[in-house]
Amino acid sequence: MNHKLRSLSLQGKISSLYILTNLLVFVVNILLLLGINRMSNEMEMVYRDNLHLNELAQALDNVQDSMTDYLNAKTSDSLEEYYRNEQEYLDLVYDLKDEVTGSSFDRMKRNIKHMSEQYLEIADQTIEAKRGRNVEKYRIRYENATQLYDYINTYVYSLNNEQFKSNSENYNELAQAFRKFEFLGMGVMCVVIIFNVCIIIKMVGALISPLKTLSKSADEVANGNLDIEVLEVQSEDEIGVVTSAFNQMVISIRQYIERIRHSMEVERAMKEKELMMEAHLKDAKLKYLQAQINPHFLFNTLNAGAQLAMLEGADRTYKYVQNMAEFFRYNVKKGDEIVSIREEIELVDNYIYILNVRFSGDIHYEKKIDKSLLQVQMPSMILQPIVENCVNHGIREMAGEGRIYLSVYRVDDMACISIRDNGVGMSQETIDKVLSGTYREEELAAGSNGVGMDNVIGRLKLFTESEDVMSIVSEGKDKGTEVIIYIQMKEREEDDV
Amino acid sequence: MWKKRAEEKAGKRNNYTWYLVMTVLMIVITMIAGVVVFSFYINHFTKEQDTSQYNKYYVMIAGDGNASLWQSVYEGAYEAALEENSYVDLLDGIFEKNYTREDLMRIAIASEVDGIIVAADESDGMTNLINEAVEAGIPVVTLYGDNTHSARCSFVGIGSYDLGREYGRQVLEIVEKTDVADETEKPIEVMVLVNANAMDSGQNILCSAIQDTLEKEKPESMEFELSLVSINDENAFSVEESIRDIFKEEELPDIIICLNELNTTCVYQAVVDYNKVGQVNILGYYDSDTIMKAIDRNVIYATIAIDTMQMGRFCVEALTEYNTYGNTSQYFTADIALINKDNVAFYMEEEADEP
Repeated sequence: MNHKLRSLSLQGKISSLYILTNLLVFVVNILLLLGINRMSNEMEMVYRDNLHLNELAQALDNVQDSMTDYLNAKTSDSLEEYYRNEQEYLDLVYDLKDEVTGSSFDRMKRNIKHMSEQYLEIADQTIEAKRGRNVEKYRIRYENATQLYDYINTYVYSLNNEQFKSNSENYNELAQAFRKFEFLGMGVMCVVIIFNVCIIIKMVGALISPLKTLSKSADEVANGNLDIEVLEVQSEDEIGVVTSAFNQMVISIRQYIERIRHSMEVERAMKEKELMMEAHLKDAKLKYLQAQINPHFLFNTLNAGAQLAMLEGADRTYKYVQNMAEFFRYNVKKGDEIVSIREEIELVDNYIYILNVRFSGDIHYEKKIDKSLLQVQMPSMILQPIVENCVNHGIREMAGEGRIYLSVYRVDDMACISIRDNGVGMSQETIDKVLSGTYREEELAAGSNGVGMDNVIGRLKLFTESEDVMSIVSEGKDKGTEVIIYIQMKEREEDDV
Repeated sequence: MWKKRAEEKAGKRNNYTWYLVMTVLMIVITMIAGVVVFSFYINHFTKEQDTSQYNKYYVMIAGDGNASLWQSVYEGAYEAALEENSYVDLLDGIFEKNYTREDLMRIAIASEVDGIIVAADESDGMTNLINEAVEAGIPVVTLYGDNTHSARCSFVGIGSYDLGREYGRQVLEIVEKTDVADETEKPIEVMVLVNANAMDSGQNILCSAIQDTLEKEKPESMEFELSLVSINDENAFSVEESIRDIFKEEELPDIIICLNELNTTCVYQAVVDYNKVGQVNILGYYDSDTIMKAIDRNVIYATIAIDTMQMGRFCVEALTEYNTYGNTSQYFTADIALINKDNVAFYMEEEADEP
């Protein structure tokens, strides 16, 4: 039964609830009506006996009257009337019980019955005597009959009276009972209605409660919390269907999110791998470059050459090789370090010396340095590549004597390093390209240490944490180029200064 | 944990079912209770009257149906009848009209009852009616007053001679104990109130028994003057008037003997009203409450109590016997008892004990 109840649709459940409660009220009403019906029947019955006795008395009167009529006039009509009345009365008398019981009414009825029978007998004899014209006889019999008639009448009257008294009492009690019944009925009705209300409240609550849970859960899901319990399906009605669908939906969403998360992870891993491969490739490239020139080997070799030159007394050779050795050592040692401007300038000095040896003193190199700025820190391998560019692109391609001016000066809290040549100059377009890092040399020039301008600019930017690290000025073709580096002085350095 | 929760929920659902079932059950119980209470009320009214059936149906016709004496006799008869599975009706008082005993006799005969108990007298009318009844096959028992010439089957009464003798003795006792005799030399006047119209042999026997007793047992020096005064009981309220008339006379008797309950009550009231307590001694009849109280207050000297229940019982026994065997004893005599100041408390107590 429970299962059947559960499998009812929502409509079915609500309908049955209403039908049940209405049915209960209906039954109570039916009972009330039956009670009222019974009561009114009882009330009708109360005076039924009195009515019957009245009929009896009336019939007796009729017999007596018609007998008197006949004795008076002796018409056949009155005789007929007499016989009809007699029969009627006889019928009524016949219905009276001939029993001696504890009830005084029964005994009185019994007496009335016997007296009536005697009366009718005497009445018949009277009529008989009248027909036989026996005057004496019918007169006496008439008197007897009349006396008996009087007795019966009184008897009926008394019985009627007694019964009426008793019935009135009954009626009063019945009326009181009726009032009590009204209260009782109202009481029962009230109790049943209270219970009905209880049923409706409780059952509707029971019907609605899964819906409440569902809405609460839905609200949580709407707020993004998918980690809710799976709702229990309490019934197989619409709410049950919605609940299980909701459960399915939450589970599906969870699975979907899980899948997305998984695929994202895979993608990330793949990307990582790709990046790593790139890094490896770069590493490999570097290793390759490193393998091409092993600076340590070169440096040691050069050092050995320098010592050999010194032993042989070739001072210029010694100096040249020494400078070369210094140059490479710097490269090896300070690959990625932070250095002072002084060290950078020394490297430039070395480089120019080597170039001048190589190109037999073509390049005039002039320095104008604010010595207080020599300790300012900067990334390594910045000035040398710039000078290299000046030489390669500025001076090499011009006719005449090439000059390079290196000056270090101070503007506010900035240390400015200017490298100027008198070479072919640069177009504004090229300057823009170089500064934005989009300019690419076709290939590394011979004698270059492989560090490009973009690299220089990038490292400077990283170091100073500023975009404005370099400016290139060229006044036009054959008017030379000036590269100015701006280095923000750190507080400590300023103190040192 | 999940399982536990599921069990909890299942329990909750079962709770709902249980709740529903219980509530509906409560409603049904309420309705049933209502129906039961209602039927109780209804059945209370439709309660069947006593329908037990009886074999024989007797009627009793008393002279004065309202007197407690007759009521008491009737109760005795009624109880005795029930034992025989018969029923006795007291015909007096049933009718709205005040019928005479003769009318009631005719009604009883016409009703074809199984037996009539009648407080008869010696009148011819009564004789005829009794004979008529017997002819119709209805046995008649005369009660208290006899109709010796009729065909009645039995008489139940008190021994009139015994009663008279007892009254006589009480008169002597009064004379002995009080100062009635000492005042004057004239004879002590004793007045007996008799019923005027009762041609009752019993009354005569009673009177002569008083006379005899006084004659035989009185002391030598004492003289008694016994007078019979007829009290007219023919008309309504005439008894009381007749008694008042006696008290209007200059000369009042020393002792008044009453031979029925009504006379006793009336004399007692008259003595109180005329302030003659102590002057007139009353010998009463029957043990009604009023009379007992009067004895207790010393207004009535003594009264004769009849075993009325026994009387009624004798009536029914006579009829039953006659119906069964066709014959019965001609006379039944009920016991009498004297109640005076000495034993009135006992009788009053006894009275109070009875429901």
